[in-house]
Amino acid sequence: MLPQRMKKAITENPKKLSNLIDLVNLPSTLREFLGQSQISRLGCFMRVWSYIKTNNLQDVNNKNVVNCDEKLKSILLGKPQVELAELPTLIKLHFPKEPK
Amino acid sequence: MGKLPPAVRAAPFQVSSVLRNRPSLLPEQPEAETPQPRHFPKKFPGKKSPKTLTAQNPKLPAITFTSPNLSAAKSLFNSLISSTSAAADGLRFHNSLLQSYAATSTLDDSISLLKYMIKTHPTFSPDWSTYHVLLSQSCKSDDSSLSSVRKILDLMATDGFTPDKATTDIAIRTLCNNGRVDHAVELVKELCLKHSPPDSYTYNFLIKHLCRNRTLSTVNNFIKEMRECFEIKPDLIAYTILIDNVCNRKNLREATRLLQLLSEDGFKPDCYVYNTIMKGYCMLSQGSEVLWVYKKMKEEGVDPDLVTYNTLVFGLSKSGRVKEAKKFLGVMAEMGHFPDEVTYTSLMNGMCREGNALGALQLLEEMEAKGCSPNSCTYNTLLHGLCKAKLLDRAIELYSVMKASDMQLEPGSYGTVLRALCRNGRVAEAYEVFDYAVESKSLKDFAAYSTLETTLKWLKKAKEQGLAV
Repeated sequence: MLPQRMKKAITENPKKLSNLIDLVNLPSTLREFLGQSQISRLGCFMRVWSYIKTNNLQDVNNKNVVNCDEKLKSILLGKPQVELAELPTLIKLHFPKEPK
Repeated sequence: MGKLPPAVRAAPFQVSSVLRNRPSLLPEQPEAETPQPRHFPKKFPGKKSPKTLTAQNPKLPAITFTSPNLSAAKSLFNSLISSTSAAADGLRFHNSLLQSYAATSTLDDSISLLKYMIKTHPTFSPDWSTYHVLLSQSCKSDDSSLSSVRKILDLMATDGFTPDKATTDIAIRTLCNNGRVDHAVELVKELCLKHSPPDSYTYNFLIKHLCRNRTLSTVNNFIKEMRECFEIKPDLIAYTILIDNVCNRKNLREATRLLQLLSEDGFKPDCYVYNTIMKGYCMLSQGSEVLWVYKKMKEEGVDPDLVTYNTLVFGLSKSGRVKEAKKFLGVMAEMGHFPDEVTYTSLMNGMCREGNALGALQLLEEMEAKGCSPNSCTYNTLLHGLCKAKLLDRAIELYSVMKASDMQLEPGSYGTVLRALCRNGRVAEAYEVFDYAVESKSLKDFAAYSTLETTLKWLKKAKEQGLAV
């Protein structure tokens, strides 16, 4: 069940939702990381987040920080450490807005 | 096409009404169900549902026609007749055959098959249900006109099965359920003139459908036309549907007008009507009007039921009159309606709005002590309230209880928890809550993610302004 507000937002602004769930052709760096050539932004986020979880990449002392391994570094601007809070923004960089 | 009894289908149209503003009040649902008994008893033995049911869910061997080809169907029919003893079962068997064929083929071919069946297998005597199979099929098609429906109706008339109330009902319901409301309206008018006018069930169904899908003026015009041209007047249930519709749109002025119309038509508003109006005022958070409806009920000698009291407590709590709302707990118990989880949740909701989340938490203990077990809405309300009151640790405690019992999060409380966690620099935990929301299917993953993303965006801004850790 969607909250009314969300439903409204979606019906009023289908583009916002579509840029979240539409499949997109990926650039080569992401393609390597994900092992597939098309994914949605949402799917990509889920994959990266579960990658972090399965490989225990969260810092032991501060769980809000992720210590990137080489693979993760390759898709997150080469940063050695990223904050969890900026993860969505970093991933969004790979999904540029489509020109009208 | 699910052939639920209409009373059951009636439920969803009210359910959402009270909730719209305040998602954590899901238990208000009983209100939706209350009108049912009025539809139920007479309806159930009704002629149409059993008939179409048997026609469409054959217990006999599942025979499916895969090809729309008529001659193939005829030969399959012949082989089935000669090979199975089931044929002896007659009507139901034939109906299911016809149903199956009609689903894959054109209407004209289905009619031909029916004629062929009658001709080659004289022991088979079709009745209304046989034609209803074809009728519902014709209503399901996405024709741009009613010509195929008319064709079946005419066929029925010429074959000696004059369309009756059940026919009307099936046609209207099937048309509505397949998104052909305008056709349904057109057909109903035709049927008033020709065969069989709708009974009150059909009429009310159509009204409800119109309310949901068309503008208020369309509905009013339809009612007016039916009244003026065919002398079909709305009954009390129809009025309740109408009032509910306008209340859900927060158009209380129209509701008052309808209330007057209703008494002009010689009806006396009953408990359901009052409950509906009260709910309308609740949605507008007009506590005094909510109380006024309650008093009016008393004056008119209408006995309030549990739904009335729950609505009342909800409305008062919502408009910030928790103290008064609390008094009604005693009043309702005196009247033999014991406060249930809906009552308590409404009250907690009100207390949380006042910022008294700890008081609400106490109420939880109190209600449990009284043997009333909280539901997921109760927990969600509390969770929301605790977060708002900046009692994050208590909130997380509550959240783990909910998680342990696989309770779902509501979108509202989910968002609040996320924000509270992020504000306190506990982003990792926010991610865990996100995981739980997706895992427990509380929200669709895109909805859960959008909330997370927005919250993090908001966090970044707040940090820049020095508002968050």
